[in-house]
Amino acid sequence: MSEDKKKKYTTVSIPTPLYEKIKKRIEDTGFTSVSDYVTYVLREVLASLEEEEKEEVFSKEEEEKVKERLRALGYLD
Amino acid sequence: MSENVRKVVVIGLDSAPPNLLFDRFLDFLPNIRKLLSRSIYGPMKSCIPAITIPAWMCMATGKTPGELGLYGFRHRKGSSYNDIWIAHSLMVREKAVWDYIGEKGKKSIIVGVPPSYPPKKINGWLVSCFITPDTNCDYTYPKELKAEVEKIVGDYIFDVVFRKEERDEVKEKIWEMTEKRFELVRHLMETKDWNYVQFVEIGLDRIHHAFWKYFDENHHLHEKNSKYKDVIPDYYKLLDREIGKLLKLVDLDETAIAIVSDHGIKAMKGAFAINQWLIEEGLLKVKGGKVINRECPTRLDKVEVDWDRSVAWAWGGYYSRVFLNVKGREAKGIINPDDYGKVRDEIAEMLKNIRGPNGEKWDTKVFYPERLYPVAKGDKPDMMVYFDNLSWRAAGTVGYDSPYLRENDTGPDDAVHDEYGVFSLYLPGLEKKREITCTIYDFAPTILKLFGVKSALMGECLICARDS
Repeated sequence: MSEDKKKKYTTVSIPTPLYEKIKKRIEDTGFTSVSDYVTYVLREVLASLEEEEKEEVFSKEEEEKVKERLRALGYLD
Repeated sequence: MSENVRKVVVIGLDSAPPNLLFDRFLDFLPNIRKLLSRSIYGPMKSCIPAITIPAWMCMATGKTPGELGLYGFRHRKGSSYNDIWIAHSLMVREKAVWDYIGEKGKKSIIVGVPPSYPPKKINGWLVSCFITPDTNCDYTYPKELKAEVEKIVGDYIFDVVFRKEERDEVKEKIWEMTEKRFELVRHLMETKDWNYVQFVEIGLDRIHHAFWKYFDENHHLHEKNSKYKDVIPDYYKLLDREIGKLLKLVDLDETAIAIVSDHGIKAMKGAFAINQWLIEEGLLKVKGGKVINRECPTRLDKVEVDWDRSVAWAWGGYYSRVFLNVKGREAKGIINPDDYGKVRDEIAEMLKNIRGPNGEKWDTKVFYPERLYPVAKGDKPDMMVYFDNLSWRAAGTVGYDSPYLRENDTGPDDAVHDEYGVFSLYLPGLEKKREITCTIYDFAPTILKLFGVKSALMGECLICARDS
């Protein structure tokens, strides 16, 4: 492994049956390795958790700005 | 058929109607004409309500507004009278086409599909839509993509506010926005390794609304020989040129190209001041009996409503949402829950019987959310109303002499939505066109089929064996 790659990647352990299950699952898909798939799934899960944890999407000021625009566009009265 | 298809591009033209795109303008749209000659295409029935939000996400997820819990741009918070929340991407919890194919490792480029702010993580690249507060926000996934967007197009334009009298300025800005959007989409297509592209050009909807009366000779406010009479056809030519440039970037032997719209468009006959009508009918009570403010329309949330005596109130927009004041649900509710069905039916009947300003019969439709969808989640209204089948928009403001307004209440707007938008799908290997009619719910299963993804969605796949 190149020095660069070593810095960017690390190893985690998962149970072998799970590894085998994933390997089977990604056959004939765009995923080229189990690591690829595991990275994809973990990112998905983390992103959705982060989304759920977000309290407000718009700040007060942003919400007013969006409402004003939607009003000017005719979606709100 | 799907064996030939390796990539799919979906061009979203907000509010494109079948009569203009597939017929009246087709002669001067060479690129679109060429695609259609080898496409499955026809009118596509929108969801109810036929509004940008939720329609684009109904299309992308194959789910109804009720299942999404999205009934428009705004929703009231629980049973509040005046508190609202604005629809945003995180409220879409159903999987979109790009989520299904992302699970198969396919990468997507998504630009401007509402609502997509805040940008959600996808397997690919995403630029959010016109509900983004401004370009200071993070509006891309991944975050770093924003710098790339700005390098390519400078200040990215999400939308153009069209309801103002300076029409030249509106036109110029919409042209600039559309050129930038297509340039960005083409840049992403050229530089990313993608399987699926979907983008929405909102400019068409804005052009329709702002310039319809100059173009439509039957419009009640039509101005003959206006210098703006060709703005709408000219904009379609611009779209065709931009689509032509985009098509040069794909291999049509392996790429399917869809052109879709979320709803259609037609002339606005006027605006019906629904709360004004509710006041006149004694269903909505305001302190002092009535509101007169001829200088400037007044929003209902700025009026002192006597909730202890009010039965119903409503919101305006391209369609109307009517709310009932129910005991135990609303803070000052007066309708006994046991009478809810009866009261709602009575008001629905009254709404359906409203006639036009000259006594003409209207084709008004009243929908009950829980009867319309498999499930009606979230903050749904009690009734959804299409006045004269959407030809009359609804104004929620009050203070008029009559509920019939010739012009819109909040700035110039000449057009309203039509239930039928467009669907077209060019398929490699398809020798000739095939005309169909379909619904917005058929889009997702059709696109998923191209990627070999089976789904249990309610829509139908529009590709049949003889298309190969």
